[in-house]
Amino acid sequence: MKTFINFITKYPWPILLGILAVTAFLFIEMSANSRMETDLDEYMPQDHPAFVYSDSAEAIFNIKDGIIIAIENKDGIYNPQTLGKIKTLTKDLGQMKQIEKGDVTSLYTADNIIGTETGLDVTSFYEEVPESSDKLESIRQSVRTNEMVYERIVSEDETVSVVIAEINDDVFSMEFYHEILDLASSYEDEDHKLYVAGTPIVEGTMAYLGPKDMKKMVPIVILVIIIVLYVTLRNIKTTILTLSVVILSVIWAFGLMAWLGISIYAVTTMMPVMLIAIGVADGIHLFNHMHLYLQEHPEASRKDAISDMVRNMWKPVAMTSVTTSVGFVSLLASEVYPIKYFGLFTAFGVMAAMFFSLVFIPVGLMIFNKPKQVKAKRESEKHHPLAHKISKWVLQHKILVLVISVLTIGIGIYGTQKVWINSSFLDKFEDDSDIVQTDNFINKKFGGTTTLNVILSADRKGAFKDPEILKLMSKMQKDVVGSVKEAGNSFSLADYLERMNKVMHADKEEYNRIPDSHNLNAQYLLLYEMSGDPDNLWEVVNYDYNKANLNIQIKEDDSKSLKAVLDEVKSYRGEFSKLNVDINFAGSGYTALVFTDLILEGQIKSLVITFIIIIVLLSLMFRQVSIGFIGAVPISITAVLSFGVMGLLNIPLSTTTALLASIAIGIGIDYAVHFIERYRINHKQHTDSLHIATATMNHSGRAILFNAVVVIAGFLVLLFSVFPPNRALGALVSFNMFTAFVGTITIMLVLLHWKKKFK
Amino acid sequence: MLHKRFKFRNIILLLLLLIPFMSNAQDLTGKEIIEKVYYRDDGDDRRGKLTMILVNSRGDKRVREIKQFDKDFGATEKKIMFFTAPADIRETSFLNWSYDDPAKDDDQWIYLPALGKVKRISSDSKDDYFMGSDFTYDDLGDRHPDEDTHKLLRTETLEGEECYVVESLPKEEGYMYSKTETWVIKDKWIGLQKKFYDEDGDYLKTLKVKEYKDYDGILVITHSQMHNAQKDHKTIMKYKDIELNAGIGSNYFTERMMSRGL
Repeated sequence: MKTFINFITKYPWPILLGILAVTAFLFIEMSANSRMETDLDEYMPQDHPAFVYSDSAEAIFNIKDGIIIAIENKDGIYNPQTLGKIKTLTKDLGQMKQIEKGDVTSLYTADNIIGTETGLDVTSFYEEVPESSDKLESIRQSVRTNEMVYERIVSEDETVSVVIAEINDDVFSMEFYHEILDLASSYEDEDHKLYVAGTPIVEGTMAYLGPKDMKKMVPIVILVIIIVLYVTLRNIKTTILTLSVVILSVIWAFGLMAWLGISIYAVTTMMPVMLIAIGVADGIHLFNHMHLYLQEHPEASRKDAISDMVRNMWKPVAMTSVTTSVGFVSLLASEVYPIKYFGLFTAFGVMAAMFFSLVFIPVGLMIFNKPKQVKAKRESEKHHPLAHKISKWVLQHKILVLVISVLTIGIGIYGTQKVWINSSFLDKFEDDSDIVQTDNFINKKFGGTTTLNVILSADRKGAFKDPEILKLMSKMQKDVVGSVKEAGNSFSLADYLERMNKVMHADKEEYNRIPDSHNLNAQYLLLYEMSGDPDNLWEVVNYDYNKANLNIQIKEDDSKSLKAVLDEVKSYRGEFSKLNVDINFAGSGYTALVFTDLILEGQIKSLVITFIIIIVLLSLMFRQVSIGFIGAVPISITAVLSFGVMGLLNIPLSTTTALLASIAIGIGIDYAVHFIERYRINHKQHTDSLHIATATMNHSGRAILFNAVVVIAGFLVLLFSVFPPNRALGALVSFNMFTAFVGTITIMLVLLHWKKKFK
Repeated sequence: MLHKRFKFRNIILLLLLLIPFMSNAQDLTGKEIIEKVYYRDDGDDRRGKLTMILVNSRGDKRVREIKQFDKDFGATEKKIMFFTAPADIRETSFLNWSYDDPAKDDDQWIYLPALGKVKRISSDSKDDYFMGSDFTYDDLGDRHPDEDTHKLLRTETLEGEECYVVESLPKEEGYMYSKTETWVIKDKWIGLQKKFYDEDGDYLKTLKVKEYKDYDGILVITHSQMHNAQKDHKTIMKYKDIELNAGIGSNYFTERMMSRGL
């Protein structure tokens, strides 16, 4: 350590220039090579069975997410203007390079199969836009009697019609979204209003808005932290140095990512926030120590002050950095690559912050001189009265503190049971945002904007021409749509056969059912292929008729609604298995649900691993197993309470909020380590427990308080974010910091007090 | 620049003028070539077994077997098909009357044995695909030469055969093909290959004749393949056990025959 300190104090300039050179290199890498990844599929672990299955089903049935454009005319759609707009919009969408022509569906492209006394009439609803009121009326009548179009493409009240453009996963971009919006708005006039919705729009906007909002908020967070740092440290030099550590570590982490060619994912944008929250701690503790040293030794030289600071503080700074990094490295347990990267590079950033704290800060102080002692040393300053008061109160109310802590954990555990997972993307937007409003509008008029694909697979070819199986499918569809209120509509091969049967019996409603003969089904299907667009058929069944895709449209995209529908469908597993048919699921709604579960599973795994490693590390660092457990107490309370509060306040666990536990631990453990280290040192020098506590409180407690105030203030800024998940993040991080701080100076102090021996 | 461009245009004009001499043909126009294909002798009636194989982009296959009879009645061609496989559509039959008059839509009937009824299918569009294949009714030979304007582009050798390459543009607005190009074998008047472009001018699909056979001087296509490049979907048609001028009775092409079966 001595040679290290000598080296630093001897060559401050070369070291500073070295650091700046590396930073410059990484900064250039970061600005030149950073690549933002907005395709949500890149997040999915491609080899997970649920995703592999969904992918293969998506390929078989050409399942794609659809952009839904709704045209509303309050006076009804059956007039030449509206039908004309539907036609040209359909053509315009088909012309876009991101959309395949055959993937656009509207009233203009739909087949109208009508039964007549003698046979079957296959037409489009219109080709040339009809002008006469007779023709318009006849279109209206054909739509009304066609279950495959009515309430699917045209709303029940006949004021809205949708044009659906299915797109591949990889084509969505913000430019494309704006092109679509511009196209849609170019169709608006005083009679017509257009709405754009659908999963690709929601996902794309979220992937775009989240990071954009973060970009806007981070500078404000930094500004607030600068102000609060200055207020607490009361020194411009130390404020700048502390802040530099944070900024340098962020540049190094992002620069390294860019250099290694790893994309920035939405979750990665939380990295600066994490590093800011964690990185300021080292600086605060170092300067806090120096401040107290200079109070006692006002005449100390710059070199002495720096040496004392590094000598006394390198251990807790290194320990806290290592323990925090472990918490993030444990995210490698996640199956989700962006989260692995997030964990790994945040850990790197934390270690970089440690390096800067121990090298850059001393070097900076050598160059720019030690901070001036603002206040003259006064006896009363030596031990701040508040430090004394708190210590005294805690030590006098040990049992009360214990009881409150246990109660807090109890409340936390109770709340944790109420935590629900939400994979919804829509819930991440404001309720009055365009995207939510549009979605609500379309959900009100139609079956739903979220689709669940139920994949049925049979043991033999041709099974899905069997009446028993088709009838059960039809029954299940009616049951799900009838009993689950979020399920708005459903669609399957059964609908085709019911319709064909009705049409072949001169459109008599009593024949709107599955025929009783396998062969008749087969022949109807052949007939459909001859008369309709056979491509539509291959979206609900495969060539061999041993796999079928049953779509259920859902009006909400949150996990509760999806699970309600899933549960209802799963209740049919028994009946289907009697017919040797298996039920599985596919599609983006389902994979999002599985994905969220995976993230949480990974989170919980990593939490457990982190706790174990942290206890082991603390035990090794302090060479006492009991300290390992005592040190884990504040973070346990923080984690439990964090989840508990989410449960009680009905904040769902999502991909963003799930990561909070990592921050809670990462930061909470710092408080504990600093406090324990100081307590141990004081314990060696003093015997009076109140004195030990007060001295510790005055030293580490003070720094922890500063740290908590700075970070809480910074994160509260996020409450002004326009993006609800970022707001939740800000509020919960602030809350976690507060819990960790209070836990450290109360219950942990009590536990340390009860523990008599320190090595 | 202006001067240069004029010069360039002159060269093109000169080349265009030279083409008829260079091509050494019998001065046939595009239209004449297509008419020769359309009116080529294919017998008065035909019967045979048709195998239709549909292959999707993932290589899944469906095979249908059909007994087919067709006969010319002046300006009307009548065709009846009986499905023989797969088993669940056996005895399903399909009757089609198509007319040389471009203004007149085909008349079509289907008989579903499981329903026991013949039903008439009326369709307002000629661009319907034939039984889920990549062929439309027009592609199967129904399209009258007068419906398009034709232009001979060039002659070239394809698969060892000397071919005329004829471009055909529809007269009708908004027809499903904006353009087709046909490779017609010289003196045999068989289209060896045909490329289709969709209504937006994008390349859509290619028809390739893999095999044709001579039946007493009449050439019959026995194996062809249509590949839709936009969907990567393929239809293979094989025609065998062919009998030409078999003297099929006109009672074959009636609703009664459909339900009675073979």
